[in-house]
Amino acid sequence: MIRFDHVGKTYPDGTTAVEDFSLTVDSHASVVLVGTSGSGKTTLMRMVNRMVDPTSGRVLIDDEDVAAMDPVKLRRRIGYVMQASGLLPHRTVAENVATVPHLEGVSRRRSRSRALALLEMVGLDHKLGDRYPSQLSGGQQQRVGVARALAADPNILLMDEPFGAVDPIVRAELQKELLRLQSELGKTILFVTHDIDEAFLLGEKVVILKPGGVVAQEGTPSQILADPADDFVETFVGSGRGKRALHLEEVDGRQVVVDESGRPTGVLHAAPESRS
Amino acid sequence: MSANTTATQVLFDAPGPRGRRRILLLSVLSVLLILALIGAGLWQFQRNGQLAADKWIPYLRRDYLAFLGKGLAGTLEATAVAAVIAFPFGLVLALGRISRLRALSTVAAVWIEFFRGIPMLLVVYAFLLALPAYGVTFPRFWMLVIPMILVSSATTAEVFRAGIGAVDRGQNEASAAVGLTHGQTMRYVILPQAVRLVLPSLILALVSLLKDSTLGYVVSFNELQFQGKTMVSITRFLVQTYLVVSVIYIVLNFLLTKLAGLLDVRMHRRAAEGSGRR
Repeated sequence: MIRFDHVGKTYPDGTTAVEDFSLTVDSHASVVLVGTSGSGKTTLMRMVNRMVDPTSGRVLIDDEDVAAMDPVKLRRRIGYVMQASGLLPHRTVAENVATVPHLEGVSRRRSRSRALALLEMVGLDHKLGDRYPSQLSGGQQQRVGVARALAADPNILLMDEPFGAVDPIVRAELQKELLRLQSELGKTILFVTHDIDEAFLLGEKVVILKPGGVVAQEGTPSQILADPADDFVETFVGSGRGKRALHLEEVDGRQVVVDESGRPTGVLHAAPESRS
Repeated sequence: MSANTTATQVLFDAPGPRGRRRILLLSVLSVLLILALIGAGLWQFQRNGQLAADKWIPYLRRDYLAFLGKGLAGTLEATAVAAVIAFPFGLVLALGRISRLRALSTVAAVWIEFFRGIPMLLVVYAFLLALPAYGVTFPRFWMLVIPMILVSSATTAEVFRAGIGAVDRGQNEASAAVGLTHGQTMRYVILPQAVRLVLPSLILALVSLLKDSTLGYVVSFNELQFQGKTMVSITRFLVQTYLVVSVIYIVLNFLLTKLAGLLDVRMHRRAAEGSGRR
């Protein structure tokens, strides 16, 4: 369980990234922080593994204040996946995945076989283990990033826009893969994105942030869609723009789904899909 | 290589027929001009009898070759020893300069700027003339090599520092996020990448080190330049000797530069692979 307890972050030059933020991420849950740039979402995530120290309030992991923990030890038991995968270009894929186990004193052979198993787990052929990161596609690199984050078998996974730099098709693939992994592993996941669709897809709980780390709304995706707290949320989730304000029209005896500006976006079928 | 051609294709229009004709004309003219200059030089040599066979044949004699060969060996030895000490020392200086310890970085910065700014000849004089006045003397070899080390380590320190600065900043962050300490990040992540980045520049530093070793004649160390000077005073073949010596230097440095270019191309090919395929 991760708990943000009235945390704030003001930089020495006076800019305030986060004013006063509180949130509880239950164990084995996946929570998505979503907001535009400047909403402080990445800053908040980085407080968990002490890449950023809050200037007020506390962050607790299982009721223990992270400020009292050694940052290096803390980070080794928290998986972190970042946007540009952050792999080491001069090490092979397997060596990249095994970085932390190796530093923790696990033997080379054991950390390597574990690394290869992890590659399989994230959907990569273990033969890729001897390649260099530059020889993989962007999507494959991101998978390696996830494998590396899982290497130390952490309870907590922090994901900072991990799929932001790959094309939409690969992104969809990776999102599906993450859902599958999560159903198998049941980690506590804190995920940051600016993509509301991604947030609704991956988060059991979604937190929509306004600039300064102000919580605009917090809830399950359906709660937020059904009952947006204010105009900001409405605009953000797109219902205000008509993107999600759909209605039905009958055309030639079939139910056609039409968006606000009258463009048809799909056909409505009866629940058990019956096609001739 | 392929990256180069595509870059030129992108940046410049291919010249049309008139442009091509103009380029051809200018090329021919400049080649003619260069040939004329060389010809004038040769004619001058010929007029003064410098091209006479008996002034050149001796350079095929075994004792002449051995004499110059000894100089070549001295040059290579001084360069190699200086490089082997100066390059690691340069790295240490660079690390000192970027250290978080204020005192250490100031000392390193002052040291680097001092030896980078001072002509090497002055440092050689210090070892040849100034220090012996205080009773500190070195063998001839070290009177040449220590100044080479001091000056070269200061310049390579800046090369290393640039290399460290050129490593992607995200690597620092990624390493921290994974849980590497500051020292581990340096050792496992930043330095290996920085050294790869600066390898071509280090080989070019080797070229300037090789040329610096010519100051060996000041301390009478038997390197190539000094051997050439001695040979001139014995044989009086001034033009011939220095031409032969120059050719040797040029060939050596050409090979080194070629090697640097080769490494550079390899690096760029790797980098190009890095920017995503498949």
